[in-house]
Amino acid sequence: MSRASVELDFFGMEKQNCCKSRFQKSLDRRLSFRGLQGALSKVNPELIKSVIASGLKNPQGQDNVYQMDSNKSFSVPSSPKETQSLFPALPLLTPAARATSENGPETAPLTIFYNGTVSVFNVPRDKAESILKLAVEVEGNSKNVEPIDSKVASPPSDRQQLLETLNGDLPIARRKSLQRFLEKRKERYFLFCF
Amino acid sequence: MEENGNKLHKTMTSQPGMSDVVLGCVMPYIDDPKDRDAVSLVCRRWYELDALTRKHITIALCYTTSPDRLRRRFRHLESLKLKGKPRAAMFNLIPEDWGGYVTPWVNEIAENFNCLKAVHFRRMIVKDSDLEVLARSRGKVLQVLKLDKCSGFSTDGLLHVGRLCRQLRTLFLEESAIIEKDGQWLHELAVNNSVLMNLNFYMTDLMKVSCEDLEFIAQNCRNLASVKISDCEILDLVGFFHAAPVLEEFCGGLFNEQPERYAAVSFPPRLCRLGLTYMGKNEMPIVFPFASLLKKLDLLYAFLDTEDHCLLIQRCPNLEVLETRNVIGDRGLEVLARSCKRLKRLRIERGADEQEMEDEEGVVSQRGLMALAQGCLELEYLAVYVSDITNASLQYIGTYLKNLCDFRLVLLDREERITDLPLDDGVRDLLRGCEKLRRFALYLRPGGLTDVGLGYIGQYSPKVRWMLLGYVGGSDVGLLEFSKGCPSLQKLEMRGCCFSEHALAASVMQLTSLRYLWVQGYRASESGRDLLAMARPFWNIELIPARRIVGEDAVIEHPAHILAYYSLAGPRTDFPESVIPLDPSAAGISS
Repeated sequence: MSRASVELDFFGMEKQNCCKSRFQKSLDRRLSFRGLQGALSKVNPELIKSVIASGLKNPQGQDNVYQMDSNKSFSVPSSPKETQSLFPALPLLTPAARATSENGPETAPLTIFYNGTVSVFNVPRDKAESILKLAVEVEGNSKNVEPIDSKVASPPSDRQQLLETLNGDLPIARRKSLQRFLEKRKERYFLFCF
Repeated sequence: MEENGNKLHKTMTSQPGMSDVVLGCVMPYIDDPKDRDAVSLVCRRWYELDALTRKHITIALCYTTSPDRLRRRFRHLESLKLKGKPRAAMFNLIPEDWGGYVTPWVNEIAENFNCLKAVHFRRMIVKDSDLEVLARSRGKVLQVLKLDKCSGFSTDGLLHVGRLCRQLRTLFLEESAIIEKDGQWLHELAVNNSVLMNLNFYMTDLMKVSCEDLEFIAQNCRNLASVKISDCEILDLVGFFHAAPVLEEFCGGLFNEQPERYAAVSFPPRLCRLGLTYMGKNEMPIVFPFASLLKKLDLLYAFLDTEDHCLLIQRCPNLEVLETRNVIGDRGLEVLARSCKRLKRLRIERGADEQEMEDEEGVVSQRGLMALAQGCLELEYLAVYVSDITNASLQYIGTYLKNLCDFRLVLLDREERITDLPLDDGVRDLLRGCEKLRRFALYLRPGGLTDVGLGYIGQYSPKVRWMLLGYVGGSDVGLLEFSKGCPSLQKLEMRGCCFSEHALAASVMQLTSLRYLWVQGYRASESGRDLLAMARPFWNIELIPARRIVGEDAVIEHPAHILAYYSLAGPRTDFPESVIPLDPSAAGISS
């Protein structure tokens, strides 16, 4: 991933946002996120976690923020049952929440695609920029990094890993009606047992 | 018609072939939608005659056209079925506010559809105000109202229906999410209606309905044939059963009392379709006296183990439809194969994952499938969740089940090792053998079907119109090979794909009949633009970006969805935050 794409005006602050179509804004977000994915693919996960944690220490406009346990070890998901979210304790972002944060001047959504999981955070702009700078720095400094061709989606080994993770991550969905029945049955089971 | 006849008389001498008068007499007998479609394409005159005489229209996705267009073409419609949310909504995969609002349709119905007698909304958002408008404008003539897996309304909306729709033969609310204020709506129905034949609020969680009102309805409506209700103590329904002598179908209820007390319950004499909620081993014998009359049995919400299934099923030689969970087990399927030679439809759903909640024996595998294939030769519909599978069992199905129109197989993910994968040959032989197949679903795991197998699906499914494919194939090659075939495929759903956006777009362009595509879980391209390779006129492309939902005890990751469909109405105008349209022109790509 070339440096230039990571340095794109990530939040579109310089350009006139209101002139863009809704699609264009979402496309910009998506293009930028894809670039970030490539940059982050080689970064030490512990490093990412600590950067995010420090970025969230002084949130603005946040009601409930959880400090991430930086001692928690991260394991690469190898099967559906072992899948762990990279950022389990962080606040969720529902589409509704995203809408309000887009309009607010203080925080904006930062979406991170990492190893087949997706997480969205509300971060203030300066923190987001420091995360980005760090990602690029680490990528540049790391001796293990292979030069990533900007035309290639991601190195084959990464793609394979992403593929496996993605395939393992989707549990078989349950039908709503059956789901409700099984829950009611559990309730009755415990009700009649005690 | 008279006007047409007069006009036609003048041209009759000059125009050879069938006259419009003759055609006008014949056409009303043509009901099949595909035939009607063909008829309307012959010439302008036939198109107009079809438009005047078409009785029923199903709009498979409400955004493919507009109320206005429907009215301009089929002003005299008698029956309308509209579907909204993608099928995946039944599995909690679609945001609640996705769309599918009935309001514009109801408004058009109220204004212009003067002949409409039957309305069926499926997976749509309905408001109380919509029900009020519908009831006020069409209440006098409406005979059928189906709010099927709908949401957004309350029992207040149903009050209008109960009060004003006095000609209702069918009120269907199954699986709708209804906000319950009281049970007054059922009382209104009881007081105002004497022609009701089908009443259904099964799986709705409505708790405030009164059994007296049910009994009242049974007394007033002498043609009451089918009643499916929410949870209600069976002992409280004794009066209702007595008052409904022509009842053929009953589902619902519950069993909270001591089993011995249920011996006093006597069911109506013509009852042949049954589903008793929470029925256990000890209550089951109340069904035995009339088990041999049963044509349809719903055990999805019963508390029976494998042995119970065997005991009950062997007493039902006339069974045509069975719905149950996989607790039926291979042994239950063997009993079914021996006892129920007239079985036409079998649906085996997935039970609980926790071992304590279901029978140890409660798994279905190749053993049960092979017995079933050899025993129930009249099967037309088979949907099953299996824990293990082999190619041979699929080959048996292809060999024996020649009447199969709809086949769905899901391979559960509890067992790490499956006896016989990949299933390439079995799938090929099943498709080749089941020549009448119209609907096909295969949900496996990585390694379950290779690219060759996926190619077989394309090659050997000439009549299949709908497919759900989960975790099939190994690479883009398989998808591209698949999409060279499937000549009749109109609707494709895919989940857990290893395919790239580029391949998805290319395959869409190759599938000649495709008009609807839904995908969740796929390999996104770096720029995200590869999907636009399928941009074309009248083709709407929508994304539901990846979401993360925090529930009470779990965080659920929802990967992104793609939804694409042909539409005459242009892009939607009612997108929620969670759905993003792909507009090729905005991205600077010419379509």
